[in-house]
Amino acid sequence: MRTAAELNYGEIGIISEIDSSHPSSKRIIEHGFTPGQTIELINKSIFNDPIAVSVRGTLIAIRKCEAGCIKLK
Amino acid sequence: MKTNVDVQIPLITLVGPPNSGKTTLFNILSGKNYKTVNYPGSTVEYYTSRILSRYNINAELLDSPGIVSLIPESPDEKVAVDSLYSHPKLGVPDILLTTVDSCQLSRHLLLPKQLISAGFNVIVVLTMTDILAKRGKKVSESKLSKELNCDVVIVNGRSKKGLENLLEIINSKIDRLNEFDKNKITAYNSGENNKTSLGIFYEIEEILKKVYEPLNPDKKIDLVSANKELKVLKEEFSNDGFSPDELTLKIDRILLHRFWGFVIFLLVMGLTFTSIFWLARPLMILVDELFTDLNSLVVQNFKPGWFTYLVSDGIISGTGSVLVFVPQIFILFLVLGLLEDSGYLARGAMLIDKPLSKIGLNGRSFVPMISGYACAIPAIIAARTIPNRKERLLTIFIIPLMSCSARLPVYALLIAYLIPKDKSWLGGIILGGIYLFSILTSVVVAFVINKFRKKIFTAEESSSFILELPTYKLPKLSSVISHTYNSSKQYIFRAGPIILGFSLVLWFLTYFPHISPQIETNGMSLGQKQNVERSERLEKSYAADLGKFIEPIMLPIGMDWRIGVSLISAFAAREVFVSSLALTFKVTTDDDQSQNTLLNSLREAKIQSTGEKLFTTATTAGLIVFFIFALQCLSTVAVSRKETGGWKIPILQVLIFTSLAYIMTFITVNGLRFFGVQ
Repeated sequence: MRTAAELNYGEIGIISEIDSSHPSSKRIIEHGFTPGQTIELINKSIFNDPIAVSVRGTLIAIRKCEAGCIKLK
Repeated sequence: MKTNVDVQIPLITLVGPPNSGKTTLFNILSGKNYKTVNYPGSTVEYYTSRILSRYNINAELLDSPGIVSLIPESPDEKVAVDSLYSHPKLGVPDILLTTVDSCQLSRHLLLPKQLISAGFNVIVVLTMTDILAKRGKKVSESKLSKELNCDVVIVNGRSKKGLENLLEIINSKIDRLNEFDKNKITAYNSGENNKTSLGIFYEIEEILKKVYEPLNPDKKIDLVSANKELKVLKEEFSNDGFSPDELTLKIDRILLHRFWGFVIFLLVMGLTFTSIFWLARPLMILVDELFTDLNSLVVQNFKPGWFTYLVSDGIISGTGSVLVFVPQIFILFLVLGLLEDSGYLARGAMLIDKPLSKIGLNGRSFVPMISGYACAIPAIIAARTIPNRKERLLTIFIIPLMSCSARLPVYALLIAYLIPKDKSWLGGIILGGIYLFSILTSVVVAFVINKFRKKIFTAEESSSFILELPTYKLPKLSSVISHTYNSSKQYIFRAGPIILGFSLVLWFLTYFPHISPQIETNGMSLGQKQNVERSERLEKSYAADLGKFIEPIMLPIGMDWRIGVSLISAFAAREVFVSSLALTFKVTTDDDQSQNTLLNSLREAKIQSTGEKLFTTATTAGLIVFFIFALQCLSTVAVSRKETGGWKIPILQVLIFTSLAYIMTFITVNGLRFFGVQ
């Protein structure tokens, strides 16, 4: 299954679930990453990590290891 | 009777997610005369104020730190949430004003929904509706109010439109306060919290379908813009009605560009860094001169005696050493405030996060770290923006290793001593090398300290970087300036007394017991006479005793008690080292030639017990190394104590950095000697 960490530039994905075993899962959900939401990879930093993702009309910068628990359909 | 009235003044607490316009609303309601309150035993800060009298509401207003949800994760978040329920000094809030960005309802409604179900007396304030209008949409206050079952009011932070409505609602709520039962506020259910938050988000999505409305649905418009709008609407509604700000996306195509984004970031930070250097310098010199003049004014006009010196060299110079940092602090906070307000700072943190995460830091550690090259004091205060406590403490820990501007005069003197007169270009290279070396060592030290972090920083937090990149906007100068002003004021009144206290202790050590030396001063100018007296006094002072006491540990690194005394006096401020060295080596001229005279007397100085030359290439290089590592700045210790909320970290900093300085100096001096460099 793909995760938000594997998105390419400009690629759009739909969240299927958030891995709740991840310590940051609560924070990720509170920022609006919930199942059914469309997300898009907007930018990456020069080191490829963190990535900037748009969700619910807002840009969120998130480390790849944390984006890894956002599973996509 | 009066106290009775005081007790009954209602408490209105402002709460909201970051970037929701909370602080703007606080500024509108409070004016600029707010004060800061620390939550007891923590570094979490609050602003409180009475509501401006012209609004005719007699209530206390409390601005709480931005939170995303009622379920705390870090210790600081827990403090923020706990004090929302009941502030230790101000009690339970009678009314909660919660700000919500109307363009971000989809995310920001989480907190109000949690607050309402916890039983708070909530008023939802919708902000940034003007930006929403530009996207052709509006929010129906009445529908949202019905859905949430609480008061909803739109307030424009710039034009203040809607403020009267808000005041009216607050007033009517205050009139009906007896209907509101504070005891009904219950702790928010944090049991299966992920499920609950997901549930709330689904409810929010349902609410949003009802409350967003197109702006002017039957407006007559020309075809071109109609097509444009149609396209926008189509795009937005295809995406549940949410898409990021177009202009922000366009700007980010450049500022977050994979390659150029990083180049621009380095340029912006370089500019910020140099501005605290060069913009602040003339002001710092001004402050310094002012207090030096004040000092000599006192010395010239009063009878010499311990009291005169207490006033001139103790109190006046001590106050000067507090105030000399104010220009740097002010300029740093001003520039950072503008960058933060425009939305850029969050992006900078994102760009630099990866390399810093390798040594246990966070993208947000970067700004405090480069500020440390100007002065550790504003740098440590700037570390407040790091939400993760462990990463904040580690950042504060390594800041003293950044080569601050107070070390420059010391480096300048020692480098001038090292290099031959005809090769002054070499000085620049050595200075550059010192800075490079200090960057490298701080990385290594951060890496090592990070290995022991569990023992040093007891905070248990998993490292995380999830940061909202706010929509770009023009910074609001007035609120940035008022925030800058308050930060500077805080520094003066909180750190100032500690710094002054330490300076007075040092003054005592360097002045007593031989306060009025009897010396032959015929034919000397007043300045010369003062310097001779000072040098006599210092030679027989407690500080000199201390210097002689530590001479056994100074000798292995090729130094004697006189350098020891200067190092001790340098604790008041590093730049004091040079003037103190001049005193211990009895350089008593008071003109511009003093550096050359000092250099000459350094060249001739010998260690008294052994007769060896004191300032060899090896010992001078060793001294430079010592200054790179040693934490010899009481102001830094004081601020570190204040910002970390305890003595543990500042004491560890002094012990670790000073012993590291000693060991590295020992290696440098003896290593150079081993290779035949004297």
